[in-house]
Amino acid sequence: MSAAHHLPALAIVVPLVIAYLMPLFDRWRRGWCTPAALAALGFSFAASLVMAWQVMTHGPFSYQMGNWPPPWGIELYIDYLAVFTALTMTGVSLIVLVYGSRDLLHELKPHLLGWYYTLYLLLIASMVGMALTNDIFNLFVFVEICAIAACGIISIKESRECLEAAFKYLVLSALGSGCLLLAIALLYMVTGHLNFTFIAQALPEAMRLYPNNILAALALLLVGMGVKSALFPLHVWLPDAHSSAPSPSSAVLSGLVIKIYAVALLRILYQVFPDSIFEVTPVLTILLVMSSLAIIVGSMFAVVQEDIKKMLAYSSIAQIGYVFLGFSLMEISALTGGILHMFNHAMMKAMLFLAAGAFIYGTGVRRLSDLKGIGLTMPVPAAAFTIGALAMVGIPLTNGFISKWFLVLGALRGGQTFFAVVILISSLLNGFYYLPIIVNAYFGEPQGAVAEPKRLPRLMQAPLVILGFGCLLFGIFPSLIIGLASRAGQALLGM
Amino acid sequence: MNIAEILLRLHQNSYYFFAIILFVIGFHTMLTHNNLIKKVIGMNIMDTAIFLFFVSIGYIRGGRAPILEPGADHLYVNPLPSALILTGIVVAVSITAYALSLIVKLYQHYGTIDAEEIIRLRGGETS
Repeated sequence: MSAAHHLPALAIVVPLVIAYLMPLFDRWRRGWCTPAALAALGFSFAASLVMAWQVMTHGPFSYQMGNWPPPWGIELYIDYLAVFTALTMTGVSLIVLVYGSRDLLHELKPHLLGWYYTLYLLLIASMVGMALTNDIFNLFVFVEICAIAACGIISIKESRECLEAAFKYLVLSALGSGCLLLAIALLYMVTGHLNFTFIAQALPEAMRLYPNNILAALALLLVGMGVKSALFPLHVWLPDAHSSAPSPSSAVLSGLVIKIYAVALLRILYQVFPDSIFEVTPVLTILLVMSSLAIIVGSMFAVVQEDIKKMLAYSSIAQIGYVFLGFSLMEISALTGGILHMFNHAMMKAMLFLAAGAFIYGTGVRRLSDLKGIGLTMPVPAAAFTIGALAMVGIPLTNGFISKWFLVLGALRGGQTFFAVVILISSLLNGFYYLPIIVNAYFGEPQGAVAEPKRLPRLMQAPLVILGFGCLLFGIFPSLIIGLASRAGQALLGM
Repeated sequence: MNIAEILLRLHQNSYYFFAIILFVIGFHTMLTHNNLIKKVIGMNIMDTAIFLFFVSIGYIRGGRAPILEPGADHLYVNPLPSALILTGIVVAVSITAYALSLIVKLYQHYGTIDAEEIIRLRGGETS
C-alpha cells in the first residue's frame, strides 16, 4: 500500500503530530515553529486537493483506520461534502496562519507563539477530522478537541475580556458536547452501531419500535450543534469570544469553526436520520425559523455596534443563519447555496477579521467612528475590507452574490418566497452597516493614530491580497467551485 | 398503568432514571449558579450523568466483565460503551482542568469568582 492510499488519515494525523512537536521546537529552535506549522497545514491542504481530485474523478471512497473494517473500526468517508469542507478548512486556515505568524508577535507574549501553533494545528486537524469521519463517536472526540482548542486560542491572550469570553464559551460548549454525547448514547441504544452508514440502516426499523428515543436524540443533537455553531437563540457566547480573541483566532473561529458544526449537523440530519423523521417532526421548520431570526436579528445587532470586531462577530451570527437556511429548505439550489456560502463566508469573514486586525495593528483603533480616512493611510487592508464588505452585502462580481443568488433561487423554487424576502432584507441591513464604514474610510479626514499608521509587514498584506483576489475570482468564475458544492448537495438529497 | 406498574418499570430502568435526574441537576447548576466553581461542578455532574447513562446501556443484569476463558460460557456485559466512556472521562477531566485554570486566571484579574460581579466590573470598565 502506498502513502497515497493513506492520504485521508494523513491529512488529519500530520497536523496533529506536528502540533505536539511545537512546544519542543519552541524550546529547541524557535525559528522552526512557523515553517513547521505552515508545512503541516500546507500538507493537509495538498492532501485535501488530491482527495478532491480523486473524488471528482473516481467518486466517493472510504478509508478504514488501521484496516479494521466497519462496524468495528473507525471509517473515514471521503465524499463531495467532506472534501469540500476539508478544502475550505485547510485552505483558509493556511492563509490565516501566514498572516498570524506576524500579527501574533505583537498580540501575544513571544514565548506563547509555539503554544499558539499547537492549539491552532489541533483545531484545524480536528475540523478536518470532523469533515471526513463516518463514525459518530469519532465525531464526538473531534468535537471535543475542537472545543478545547477553540477556547484555547481565545484565552491565550490572557487579557480580562479574553478569559471571561473563553470561560463563557467553554461552559456553553461543554453543555453542547454533553447534549451531543447523550444523543449518541440514545442512538447507540436503539441501533447498536456507531458508524453513520450502519446507524442509517438500522434507524428505520428502530424508528418504528422506539420513536421517543430517536426524537430525544434529534432534539439533543439540535441543541448541541446549535450551541456550538451559534444558531440564533443559542449565540450568546459568540460576540464576546470572537471579538476579544487575537485577530487570526477571530478569523478562524468566525470563518471556519462555527461552520464545521453546521456541516456535522447537516450530515447527520440527511445521511443518518431516515427521511421519515422530517414528516414526524417539524425539525426543518424549526431550523428555518431559527435561521431566519438569526439572519435578521444578527444583522440588527451588528448595526448598533461601535467596535469593529464586535460588529463582524454579530455579522457572523447572521451569516451562519444563511448557511442553516440553505441546509433546511430541502431544495437542491438552496442546499448548494448553503454549502457554497460556507466556503464564501469563510473567505470573506476571515478577510474582514484580518483587515480589522491590520487596522488595529497599524493604529490601535477599534472604534468604527474613529476609522475615518483609513483607506488613504492603509490602502491594502482597506481595499480588502471593501471587497469583503461588498461581498457580504452581495454585490455582483463578488462571491457573496453567488451564494445568495443560489439561496434566493432555492427559496423561490421551493415556493418559500418569505425566505427570499428575508435574504433581501438582510442584504439591505448588511449594506446599512458595511457601506458607511467604506464611505468613512475613503472620504473621511484621517485623524490621530489613523493619520500615521505603523507600516504593515508584507506577510500580513499578502494574505489580505490573496483572500481579496479569491473573493473576486470565485465571484467572477463561480463554476470553479459550484460543481463540487452542487454534487455535495445532490449526494445529500439522494439525487 | 397503575402505580405498582410504574414503580416496577422505574425499578427496572433505575439507572436511566437516575442518570436523567443527575443530568437535569447538572444542567440546572451549570446555567443558573453565578459561582464559577459551581458551574464547573455542575458540568461534571452532567458529564457523569451521561457516563452513567452510556455505561448502563451496555450493562446486563448478572453479566460479567468480558474476559473470555476457554470452555466457560458466561453472560457478558457489552464492553463497548465502557470503552467509549473512558474517552469521555478523559475529555471531561481535561475540560475541568482547563476551566479551573481559567477560573484561577479570572480570579487574579477580577478578584472574584462570581459571574455577576465580573460582569459588573466589566461594565464599569467600558462606560
